[in-house]
Amino acid sequence: MDDSTNKASLREPCVPGLFSEEGEPSLHGARCTCCDTPYFPRVAACRNPGCDESRIVPCTFGGEGRLWSYSVADFPPPPPHRYDKPFMPYAIGVVDLDSGLRVVGQMVDAVEFMQVGSRVRLVIEPIHHEDGRTFTSWKFKLLDR
Amino acid sequence: MSTGLIGGENMQEVVVLGVGMHRFGKTGDAIVGEKSVTELCRHAVDMAMKDAGISWKQVQAVSAASSRFSGGKGWGLNGNDIVEDLGCTGIPVYNLSAGCAAGGNAFNIGYSLVAGGIHDIVLVVGGEVMPKGMIQTSGVEDANDPEYLRQRCVGMPGPAFWATLARRRMFDYGTTETQMAKVTVKARKCSESNPFARFQKAVSLDEVLASPYVSNPLRLFEICPVSNGAAAAVICSKAMARRFTSKPVTVATSTVATIGFDDALPRSLAGPVPSGPSFHTEAKSAVMKAFERSGIGPREISFTELQDNTCYYELAFPEEWGLCEPGEAERLLEAGETAPTGRMPINPSGGFVSFGEATTAMGVFQIAELTWQLRGQAGGRQVPDAKVGLAQTNGLGGNATAAILKR
Ligand SMILES: [Zn+2]
Repeated sequence: MDDSTNKASLREPCVPGLFSEEGEPSLHGARCTCCDTPYFPRVAACRNPGCDESRIVPCTFGGEGRLWSYSVADFPPPPPHRYDKPFMPYAIGVVDLDSGLRVVGQMVDAVEFMQVGSRVRLVIEPIHHEDGRTFTSWKFKLLDR
Repeated sequence: MSTGLIGGENMQEVVVLGVGMHRFGKTGDAIVGEKSVTELCRHAVDMAMKDAGISWKQVQAVSAASSRFSGGKGWGLNGNDIVEDLGCTGIPVYNLSAGCAAGGNAFNIGYSLVAGGIHDIVLVVGGEVMPKGMIQTSGVEDANDPEYLRQRCVGMPGPAFWATLARRRMFDYGTTETQMAKVTVKARKCSESNPFARFQKAVSLDEVLASPYVSNPLRLFEICPVSNGAAAAVICSKAMARRFTSKPVTVATSTVATIGFDDALPRSLAGPVPSGPSFHTEAKSAVMKAFERSGIGPREISFTELQDNTCYYELAFPEEWGLCEPGEAERLLEAGETAPTGRMPINPSGGFVSFGEATTAMGVFQIAELTWQLRGQAGGRQVPDAKVGLAQTNGLGGNATAAILKR
């Protein structure tokens, strides 16, 4: 067993089916081919009130984007959030992916490196550990650091 | 006179006849102690009825702001409990739920019932006994629930929404943390002369800036805590009001709105990148509708009570509604123009930052403050010669309300 398979077998998504890290890290979303609205998570029908005809097709989102704004969890959020103790404050980004999706996610880099407008990349990273298992989620990593 | 349709020409004029409030506090303190939500509301309702000069038997319907935050028959304040406490007269009770906008919704329903000619005298009430600490979400572990996904996959505490918007304003307009702290200093200064505020003590700029971050860039003193409290208003048709008073406060309009599809901040995990600025679409929509329906423009507003869960809103909202120019709010604040004696008074009551938030009470609390201001009964926080007041609430789930009162 090489290192990468070993690593993969120990990691599991915190919520199954929403994202994957095989190949390119990606979010499992959808897009309406009528009005071009992107969705994450997937939806059954288009929610754009200006759309003439809902035509939803599955698609994935990933790659690069720009940090639109961010906040900081200076205190642990209430359940159902789970985190490794001791709690370490983290930044929460709102990112405009180049593909047109504005999406919320934890930032990998420390709070002091955050700057609105920075270029970022979507990654899949551990979010907490429990019973020897590593749970992952999508996060954003600063490109120019 | 009425054709049975609710709309423009056929509407009755609505007035606020009386208002009441229970001072806000925190469970176990000397103000609210262990009082139940029904006890808090009863106090506010008795005060409002006395202020109006009516008796309970004259109330024809109750519009109550309801919430799920505090248990008690599962849904927080229950208007039926208030009616039972005052004596079951068999009148209709409407329980409205819209998060922190519920009080505004309850006022809107009361207003609509009177305006539409369904009832002449309606009691509007909101009150809350809040759980301690940060407001928790449903707690349901359901992968179809966006709130669950956001907490499980990201971990985004409530104040992080406000912090995200505040951070963006700092980027767009160069707003500083010191300027945001000055909003709190101004608010707490107002609270000194409000006998209903939970905090009635001024704070210094240094004290605000020394308070810890709750969600950077927002600090503890810049975010409203949760409180227990209640507020009530007796509203009635103008024709009926003549029996009780010669100087009623007129409801120019009351509106309700929900969030737009293109709102800047995704409600759950993601949304399309908006094509232009689209902040706080629910609040803006409610306020714009209020201007339109009342025929009153933003520059005719003497003062505003807006939902300052965080000081950031006091900077962002006035310019979005046309009360001032974009990017001008910080300068007006620093020039003292948002104080009760300034040219754009904001939250002369001291606001949520001084009261703490008793979710469903807030929309009604604003109606009470507007009424006192317009009657010239606001004491040390009085806006000189207040003629027209604007109120606005925001609620979880993309809800917002607005009301304009005039004398
Ligand atoms: Zn569409």
